[in-house]
Amino acid sequence: MVVATEEAQLNRLENQIDNGGGGTWEYLCLVRKLKVRRSEKVLKHGLSILNDPKKRSKLGGDEWTLYEQVAIAAMDCQCLDIAKDCLKALQKQFPESTRVARLEGMLLEAKGCWADAEKAYSSLLEDNPLDQVVHKRRVAMAKSQGNISGAIEWLNKYLEIFMADHDAWRELGEIYISLQMYKQAAFCYEELILCQPSIPLYHLVYADVLYTLGGLENLQAAKKYYASTIDLTGGKNTRALFGICLCSVAIAQLTKGRNKEDKEVSELQSLAAMALEKHYKQRVPGKLHLLTATVKNLKL
Amino acid sequence: MAEDLVLDTAIRDWVLIPLSVVMVLIGILRYFVSKLMRTSQLPDAKIVKEGQVVIRARNLRAAANLIPLKSFRSRKVYYSNEENGLLFVPKGQAPNAQAQMFSDPNMAMDMMKKNLSMIIPQTLTFAWVNFFFSGFVAAKIPFPLTQRFRSMLQNGIDLSTVDVSYVSSRSWYFLNLFGLRGLFSLILGEENATDDTQRMMQMSGFGFDPSKGLSAEKDSLDIVQHEWALPKIEQRAEAVLRKFVG
Repeated sequence: MVVATEEAQLNRLENQIDNGGGGTWEYLCLVRKLKVRRSEKVLKHGLSILNDPKKRSKLGGDEWTLYEQVAIAAMDCQCLDIAKDCLKALQKQFPESTRVARLEGMLLEAKGCWADAEKAYSSLLEDNPLDQVVHKRRVAMAKSQGNISGAIEWLNKYLEIFMADHDAWRELGEIYISLQMYKQAAFCYEELILCQPSIPLYHLVYADVLYTLGGLENLQAAKKYYASTIDLTGGKNTRALFGICLCSVAIAQLTKGRNKEDKEVSELQSLAAMALEKHYKQRVPGKLHLLTATVKNLKL
Repeated sequence: MAEDLVLDTAIRDWVLIPLSVVMVLIGILRYFVSKLMRTSQLPDAKIVKEGQVVIRARNLRAAANLIPLKSFRSRKVYYSNEENGLLFVPKGQAPNAQAQMFSDPNMAMDMMKKNLSMIIPQTLTFAWVNFFFSGFVAAKIPFPLTQRFRSMLQNGIDLSTVDVSYVSSRSWYFLNLFGLRGLFSLILGEENATDDTQRMMQMSGFGFDPSKGLSAEKDSLDIVQHEWALPKIEQRAEAVLRKFVG
């Protein structure tokens, strides 16, 4: 998760080095720390350090970390020659390293030699069957080949051992949603909520999934999770506000003609509509009429 | 009496300083030797998995109220049913750490290596100090101390009349042995400091048994009462929105 202050710092540094200021190394360190994907910038500025022997030697031992970072960025940008050069330097320095061997596998992947990459990864796994990075690369490889069911299989195998890895759960949840397997996705998002209960995004997506599944019980639960998203974000999440409105409409339709007791008496939906109105007034007054029309249609 | 003791400067030059330097050098040497002997031990898949199960079950316990009852129940059964639950350890099947240690020679070997790198240099230096520098005063600390410190500072001198602020050479060795940690962490980096005291602690706490962690987690999971927190949160969200709108 990238916190807003850190992102602001990252953007400030990026701006600074784009305009020829110093702080390239700090920028690269921050990119690494936050694990953000800004491959083009990393490639450009990382290379400028690597090509300058004076700057490079100033880094000391961190030089090799930079080589690794630039190599990965280069693979991401399909500058395979640069990646190969970086790898060569690393191989020379660390001939027996598994970390470099992983990079070799990734280079094969970037070239599109899937079979070779697979071979490289499986030999790595033979040496160390608990190598999380290699397991994840395998999933990524299956996914980039379009073999979604294969990716699911690998991920499930991975999660069988590393079941506390929430990033893997999130990936699995996203894959399931893309395949419209909502029940499985719901399970993944429950797992994520258990893992990190204070992240509103998980509550939001879980609510979306429940809403999509439909049925009275799921809809009511979805509404509650939209509410918890609102609670966690302080009412600033537009999607959750819309979600509340849609859920209440759907619930009202399902419970039409039933006893009054079944219906939940709550002001939440009207409050949500009002909050939406206020948001639109503040941010995009030009589109307010669209919102009012929609809300009217929903008959809240 | 205390005023009468004059320490020869030769003691400073030939005992106090060499002793400290030797201790530092031995510490550094030991660090490199243990680094050479360290084998990268691959963790066992089962142990890793058990650790992860415990983390996941703990998460479930902590945030149980945030997921619907149905989901909670299915998870609880998944973890703690008596047939194949993840947290369920069949009786008698729990591996005994002691037995495991004997059955796995690697483990014993590793311990021995660790101990060797710790004990051998220590005995050697102790013998060396004892042989060459035993029985005389090597330094004086610049402030007075109570009698209680006598056994700490004047190890090897059996004179009750000597002022406590004098340090015997053997005690100086001990002070160095335990007091150089800060210096090592400066020289060798924060984590690399050869920390004898901590290592001794590890030794005593060796018999850790992961299956105990599992069954403890199972017990605490069994008593968790599920009370869905979401209805309450709904009211809270209402309050939030009311505040925002109003």
